Amino acid sequence: MADITLDLFETEVGKVQLRRGGSGDPLVYLHSAAGEGEGLTFLNELAEHYSVYAPIFPGFNESEGIEQIDDMEDVVFYLLDLLDRLALDAPNVVGLSLGGWMAAELATRYPDRLSSLVLINPAGLYIEGEPIKDIFGRSPAEMAKDLFVDQAHPVAQMMNQMDRAMSDAGSLKDIPFELIAPQLKSMAAAARIGWNPYLHNPKLRRRLQRIKVPTLIVRAESDTLIPAAHTRAYADEIPGAELVEVANAAHMVVMEHPAELAAIIQKFVTTPSASRTSG
Amino acid sequence: MRFFNFHLMPYPSLPEDYDGPAWVTCPNELFDPEVGQKVYNRYLDELVYSDELGFDGVCVNEHHQNAYGLMPSPNLMAAILARQTKNVKIAVIGNALPLYNPPTRVAEEFAMIDNISGGRLIAGFVVGGGPEYYSFSINPAFAREKFAEAHDIIIKAWTEPGPQEYIGKHYKLRFLNTWPRPVQKPHPEVWIPGAGSIETMEFVAKHHYGYMGIPYFHMDVFERTFGMFRDACEREGYEYDPIQAGWLTPIYVAETDAEAREQYEKHFWYFVRRLLPGINVSPPGYTSLRSIQGILKGIGTFAINLKTWDEVMEGHYVAIGSPSTVLEMLEADLERLGTGNLLGLFQLGTLPHDLTMRSLSLFAKEVMPKLRERFPDGKRMLRASGGVA
Repeated sequence: MADITLDLFETEVGKVQLRRGGSGDPLVYLHSAAGEGEGLTFLNELAEHYSVYAPIFPGFNESEGIEQIDDMEDVVFYLLDLLDRLALDAPNVVGLSLGGWMAAELATRYPDRLSSLVLINPAGLYIEGEPIKDIFGRSPAEMAKDLFVDQAHPVAQMMNQMDRAMSDAGSLKDIPFELIAPQLKSMAAAARIGWNPYLHNPKLRRRLQRIKVPTLIVRAESDTLIPAAHTRAYADEIPGAELVEVANAAHMVVMEHPAELAAIIQKFVTTPSASRTSG
Repeated sequence: MRFFNFHLMPYPSLPEDYDGPAWVTCPNELFDPEVGQKVYNRYLDELVYSDELGFDGVCVNEHHQNAYGLMPSPNLMAAILARQTKNVKIAVIGNALPLYNPPTRVAEEFAMIDNISGGRLIAGFVVGGGPEYYSFSINPAFAREKFAEAHDIIIKAWTEPGPQEYIGKHYKLRFLNTWPRPVQKPHPEVWIPGAGSIETMEFVAKHHYGYMGIPYFHMDVFERTFGMFRDACEREGYEYDPIQAGWLTPIYVAETDAEAREQYEKHFWYFVRRLLPGINVSPPGYTSLRSIQGILKGIGTFAINLKTWDEVMEGHYVAIGSPSTVLEMLEADLERLGTGNLLGLFQLGTLPHDLTMRSLSLFAKEVMPKLRERFPDGKRMLRASGGVA
């Protein structure tokens, strides 16, 4: 697998962590509210075929500048600035969950700044009767069930350990703060954008028809965090969008099936649009 | 030393078989208006009684969608108390500023209470508890910013001639010109409660307000908290005045120590085991990382973790016993903490009316006068070193 390097990259809002690697057409990966990136082999898999850029959003991990971002409007301008500074005219953009929502917002407003769009279990929509489950107040053990099919996955195991520690407040102080801090930062940053309206933009759905680039929607079959109705709605509203389902996968499909997912993306992104069924 | 009777106005009748949280998602079907109409009036009587007994003040506070405290609007209670009491200060601690939009509303209502009571209001401003951000769907990531702006708006409305303009990040008011204006000049005394967050202490210290330590922790945690507040005042370049600090603690007085525990213990456990669960949620972005790091050090001593009565007594979670025992405990604790205000929770959990009234009366007659003597107004209470061990 291709190597990925990590460094700090200057943006309008401050220095952000940026993972880069591989060669080929540019591909930007926007992470979920979990702030994934560290040890994410999905990026190495993608880097086999693309020049991968995976910025860590302001407020997550060591990235600065979240105090300048109050809402999705600010997010879109941050992304535009980032693309400009990376000299990426129209990269392929892949986003998971919160990152998928960001990518969709960028694509509705500045469709010329993307070559293709891949939304994996994207947030961003409100569908009556099909709510996105809560991410801001539930226990790590409950979250782990939504995020992973395999509870033996190392991250799921860590979440379950954290849960046991939290249920005994006496032992909470014994957990190294360095382990808790990234999670606190991720949730605080996500809350700025997605607390209310909860992880959606009421106006996004009717704007989706403005997305003119080839779009792939990826649904993890066992994602219990975001119901299937959401991926279906994205696929219905974005002209020509394709919908694929990954079996035996939950919300964090990028962690559980990195190679399979990268192959799906590679197949889609390299297919000339004329040969797509409904492109 | 000033003495206050602080009432939470708890819901005392959660069914035996309900073991869920008392906050945010506690089903409101569990609220029985038959109980409600009795306890509101009874609780108000207990506050009015402390006026007759010579307390310096009464305290009410704001919480939403919970069984822990039935005062979504403390200002309604304060308005009643403004009419039904004669001498006590009426401390509303406080209004959760980010929950009012625009916060001009707080300036107006507080000024009304100050007028009706003849200048007896103590104006409390709070960020709001963690659960409130879930209950009102207010974004916790902007809690501190909104609090700071709302505070500025209220103080401006009270102290600067209107109409004026306030253009902030969260609030944009083209005509800030509140009627009525408060009686007290330049404005009512301001108190701000806190649970140990450094940002709150620094804010209070900067404005020379009163800092009220939120209860239900081990005495060691309070000692640390008030020490941090004193340091915050020093960093602002002045020596802290004890009148700027208030310690809130459950108090129960009976004839003898044995009788006190016998009468009180089960009501205390109802409070700890039924009403506290759910209070300790911390929504994302509500507290800064450095404050969380500090708060985590004491979190294990939060009363929700208490298992035995010995632990309760060891950590001084309640000042309880005969008048002489309670006097002894409070003398020691107040000397240790150096606070100039004692805020007693005399009613707690399911503690019934008759026992609450008798405890108030015993306290006022046999404990309060001796504490007044021991800690006269204006006298520094800390030991000569200026610090605590």
